[in-house]
Amino acid sequence: MTDPALVLIIEDNARNLKLARDILNHAGYDTLEAENAEDGLELARARQPGLVLMDVQLPGMDGVQALGRLRADPATAGIPVIALTAFAMKADRERFIAAGFDRYMEKPLDIRELPRQVAATLSDGGTER
Amino acid sequence: MDPAALSQSSRTEVEALVARLTADLADATEQQTVTSDVLQAIGRSASELQPVFETVVRHAVRLCGADAGMVYQLEGDVYQVAVSLGGSAEYRRYLEQHPVPRGPGTLVGLVGLERRAVQIADAAEDPRYRWREARELGGFRTMLGVPMLADDRVVGVIALWRSHVDPFDDRTLELVTTFAAQGVIAIRNVQLFQELEQRGKQLSASVDELRALGEVSRAVSSSLDLDEVLTTIVTRAAELSGADGGSIFEFEPSTAEFALRTCTGTSEALVETLHQIRIGLDETFIGHAAATGEVRQAPDLDAQPRDPHVDSLRRHGWRSMVAVPLRREDEIIGALIVRRKVPGALPEETVRLLETLASQSAVAIHNARVFHQLEQKTRELEVASQHKSDFLASMSHELRTPLNAVIGFSDVLLDRMFGDLNERQDEYVRDIRNSGRHLLELINEILDLSKVEAGQMELDLDAVSLTDLIDHGVAMVRGRAVGHGISLTCDVDPELGTAHADELKLKQVIVNLLSNAVKFTPDGGAVTATARRVGSEAQVSVRDTGIGIAPAEQDRIFEAFQRGGRAARTSTEGTGLGLTLSKRIVDLHGGRLWMESEPGVGSTFSFSIPLVPASAAAADSPAEPVDATGSILVVDDDRRSADLLRVYLEDAGYAVSVARDGIEGLELAGRLHPEAVILDILLPRLNGWDLLAQLKSDPATSDIPVVIVSMTDEQGAGFALGATDYLVKPVDRARLLDALSRCAPPQGERRTLVAIDDDPVDLDLLEAVLAPEGWRVVRATGGEAGVRAVRKERPAVVVLDLLMPDVDGFAVVEQLRADPFVGDVPVVVLTSKEMTAADRERLAGQISFLAQKGTFPQAELVRLVGRVAGSRLPGVGAT
Repeated sequence: MTDPALVLIIEDNARNLKLARDILNHAGYDTLEAENAEDGLELARARQPGLVLMDVQLPGMDGVQALGRLRADPATAGIPVIALTAFAMKADRERFIAAGFDRYMEKPLDIRELPRQVAATLSDGGTER
Repeated sequence: MDPAALSQSSRTEVEALVARLTADLADATEQQTVTSDVLQAIGRSASELQPVFETVVRHAVRLCGADAGMVYQLEGDVYQVAVSLGGSAEYRRYLEQHPVPRGPGTLVGLVGLERRAVQIADAAEDPRYRWREARELGGFRTMLGVPMLADDRVVGVIALWRSHVDPFDDRTLELVTTFAAQGVIAIRNVQLFQELEQRGKQLSASVDELRALGEVSRAVSSSLDLDEVLTTIVTRAAELSGADGGSIFEFEPSTAEFALRTCTGTSEALVETLHQIRIGLDETFIGHAAATGEVRQAPDLDAQPRDPHVDSLRRHGWRSMVAVPLRREDEIIGALIVRRKVPGALPEETVRLLETLASQSAVAIHNARVFHQLEQKTRELEVASQHKSDFLASMSHELRTPLNAVIGFSDVLLDRMFGDLNERQDEYVRDIRNSGRHLLELINEILDLSKVEAGQMELDLDAVSLTDLIDHGVAMVRGRAVGHGISLTCDVDPELGTAHADELKLKQVIVNLLSNAVKFTPDGGAVTATARRVGSEAQVSVRDTGIGIAPAEQDRIFEAFQRGGRAARTSTEGTGLGLTLSKRIVDLHGGRLWMESEPGVGSTFSFSIPLVPASAAAADSPAEPVDATGSILVVDDDRRSADLLRVYLEDAGYAVSVARDGIEGLELAGRLHPEAVILDILLPRLNGWDLLAQLKSDPATSDIPVVIVSMTDEQGAGFALGATDYLVKPVDRARLLDALSRCAPPQGERRTLVAIDDDPVDLDLLEAVLAPEGWRVVRATGGEAGVRAVRKERPAVVVLDLLMPDVDGFAVVEQLRADPFVGDVPVVVLTSKEMTAADRERLAGQISFLAQKGTFPQAELVRLVGRVAGSRLPGVGAT
C-alpha cells in the first residue's frame, strides 16, 4: 500500500525542491526528496509514496524516461505522477501529457494550486489504481 | 548420238527439243530480265509499292498471255486493288470501288482462305465463283490467283484472267508465284521504310522536346547539373565548329581569376595543367575577351602574346583557338574556348553559333550560382531559425527555473505560511514577487513574439463572444482603475455577435489595450471601451484621456520597447512588448490594429476583426428569457445599484425582491426560496461571503443558485464557496441576464434537462424519475442528436451516457466544452462503462459528476441533478 500522506519530490534545482517541500509540508504532507531520477526511482520503490512530483528536466535520466521506469515496475506502477516543468512551448506540453503523466504543472508554481493538484490527483489515483 | 541413226522422226524430235530448249532459254532470259526489272523497281521505290506492283502486273499479263491482271493488298479486313491492267475503264473503276471481302465467293477471297494459288477454269460455270457483277463487267472466264505470303500470312493477291476459257499452265503459275514473292519483298521494304520513317519522326520529336525542355530548364531553374550542361555545351561547340577540343572557364570575382569548369577533346595531362594554372583578367587572352565582351580569335597560337593558358595549350600541341566571352549583362561570367591542332581562323557563321552557345552557358552558370546562393541562404536561415527556437526554448526554461523560487517563496511569505510579516516586510516581499511576475510576463511575451516572427504561432480558432472578452478585460483592470480614480466605462453594441478568433490570444489583446489605457491615464481620468459592428467586422476601441502620443512617436509605437515618449505610472508596469504582440495577434486574425492620438487630449487604440456571419451565429446566440416571471432576490445595500438591478430584471420579466443587508438577505432567501440570489459582497451586518457560506450549508437553501455582483474581482473565492457566477460591477445587462438564464429559468416554465443515451429504455427511466421532480426532460437518442439538443435547449444540466454507437459520450463532452455558449453546462455522466484510468483522464475537469448506472440510487440522482444544475463546472466527483 502506498502512503497517501507521503509525496516524493524529484527536482534537481535545490531551491525549487525546497519550495515544493515547504508548501507541501505546510499543507500537511510528508515529503521525500531526490535530486535526480535514479535516486527518485529507488525512493519510490522503497518508500511507496502516495504521489510523485517530478521535474521533467533532470540531469541524466529525464522525467519522461523516469516515468516510463516507474510505470514499468509493478512496485511503483500505480503511483500517480505530476509533471513539473519550466517549458512553455505547446509542443512540449503535448509531449508530457502524451507521455502519460497524471497531471501537469508549469513553473513558476502557483503555491496554492500545488496542494490542490496534489489532493485532486491523490483522490483520483485512489479510485483508479 | 549416231547421226546415221537419226531418223526423220527423231530428227523432228530433236528439232522440237531444240525449239523447246530455245524457248525455255528465251523464257529464262525473259524471266531473268523481268526479275531484274522488278528488283530494280523495288530498289528505286523503297517508299512506294505502286511502281513495283505496276511492273509486276505489266510483265505478268504479258508473259502469261492474260487479258487483265491485278494486284490486291490486304487492308484491314478487305483486299483492295492496288494496281490493275486490262479490262474496261468501267470495270477497273468498279474494282477500285468494291474491295473484296475475305471469305469464299471470289477468286481473291478463295486465295486468301486457302493461302495457295487458285485457278477457276470458267468463272461462268464454277460454283465457287459468285461475284456475278464483276464477272459481267469484266467479261472474264478463266482466272488465276496467287497469294503474296509474308510469314505464312496472305498480305496480297496477284490475279490474272482471260476473257475466254483457257486455263493457265504450271509454268505460268510458277512465274506468277515468283512475281508474288517479289511483291512481298516490296511490301516488306515499304513497311520497313515506313517504320523507319515513323521512328525517325518520333526521335526528332523527342529531340525537339528535349531541346525545348533543356532551354526551359536553363531559363527557369538550375536544378540541372551545371557541369553536365556545360560539358554538353562545350562538346557541341567543338563539334559544330569543327574544332578538336574546347573548354569553359568560370570567372571568380573574389580572386579575379578564371577557373576551368569543363573540357572536351582534351588530354588528361592538359586538363590537369589547366586546373593548376592561374589565369588572371589582365594580360591574358581569355581575360581580354571576357573583359571586352568580344570574341577573340587566335589563328596561330605561336604568334600570340604569351600567358599561362596560351603557353599550356602550345606545349600540348594546340595551334589555334577562339575565346567567346560568357557575360550576363555587364557581369563577367567566364569564357568558352574552342581550339584546333591546326592554325587558322573560324568563319563568321561559326563564331555566331559559338556566341549563341556561350550565352546559353552564361545563363546556365548564372542560374546555377543564384540557385546555389538561394540554397545556401535557405540552409543558413533554417539553421538560424532552429538555433533561435532552441535558444528561446532553453532561455525560457532557464529563466523560469529561478523565477519559480523567487515568486514561489515570496508567495509563501505573503501567505503568512510561516508567520506574520510587518508592513514593510510585506511591501518588500510584494515588490520582489511583482518584479518576478513582471520578468515572467516579459519572458512569455518574448517567447510569443518570437513565435509570431518565426511563423510558429498557431491560432486556436473558435466562435468567440467579444462582449465576454471585453467584460473580462474590464474586470481585469478595474481594480487598478478604481485605485487611481479612473472611470472605466463600457459601451458594447448588444448586436455585436461573435468573432472567429483565438479566445485566449484575443483576450490578451483586449487586456493589453485596456491596461495600457489605465496605465497612461492620469489619476481621475477616464477610459472607455467601445465595440461596434462595422460591416462584417467588429471594431473595438479603447479611448483614454491620457497625455497622448506625439505624431513623431506614433509610427514607432508598435515597435518593441517603445512607449511613445510616455512615462508609465510606475516603471515596473508592462513589458513594452504588449502592443507589438497585440498588433501581430490581430494581424494573424486577418484584422487591423491602429491608433489615433492627440497630445494632451488622449489616445484611442482600435482593432478590427472579422465577425462570424450573422446567419451562422444566430443558431448559437443565447436565448434571453422572454415573458419570464421567476423570482429573484437581490441582496445589495447600495440603493442605486439595487434599483438598477431591479430595472434590468423586471424588464426581463423576473419578479424581484431586495434585501438591504446580509441578515435580511439570509432571512428572505429562506422564506422566499427564490430562483436565484444576486449577491453583493460588501454588506452591512453579514458580508456576502458569510451569507453565501450559510446559504450553501443549509440544505433548505443550498440549491439556490447565487450570482455574485461585486466591485472586487475575487472570482476564485466566489466559485470556491459555491457561487454559480461572478460578475464585476458595473454589471452589463446582457451578461446579468445570461448568467441568470443559466440558473434561474422563468417561473412557470420547468427547468430543462437534456438526457443523452442511445438506449430508449434508459431514457424512459430517467424521464420517469426526473419529470415528477419538475424537470422538462429533452431526450436525445445518440451523441450527435445530444449535442444538437444541448445547443438548442441550453439546458440547466445534461445527463450523458458514455457508450453510444455514433458519437460517444467522451466526444460529446469535448464538443460541448469547445462551444462557447454551452461550454460550461454541467454534465452528469451516467454510465455502465467500466471506467479506466485513461477514461477518467479524458473526463477530468470536464464533467460535474460520474455515476454508475444501476448502482446509483434514483433519489440520489434527483438530488444530484438539482445540485449540479445551473452551476458551473465544479470539481470532478467520483463514486
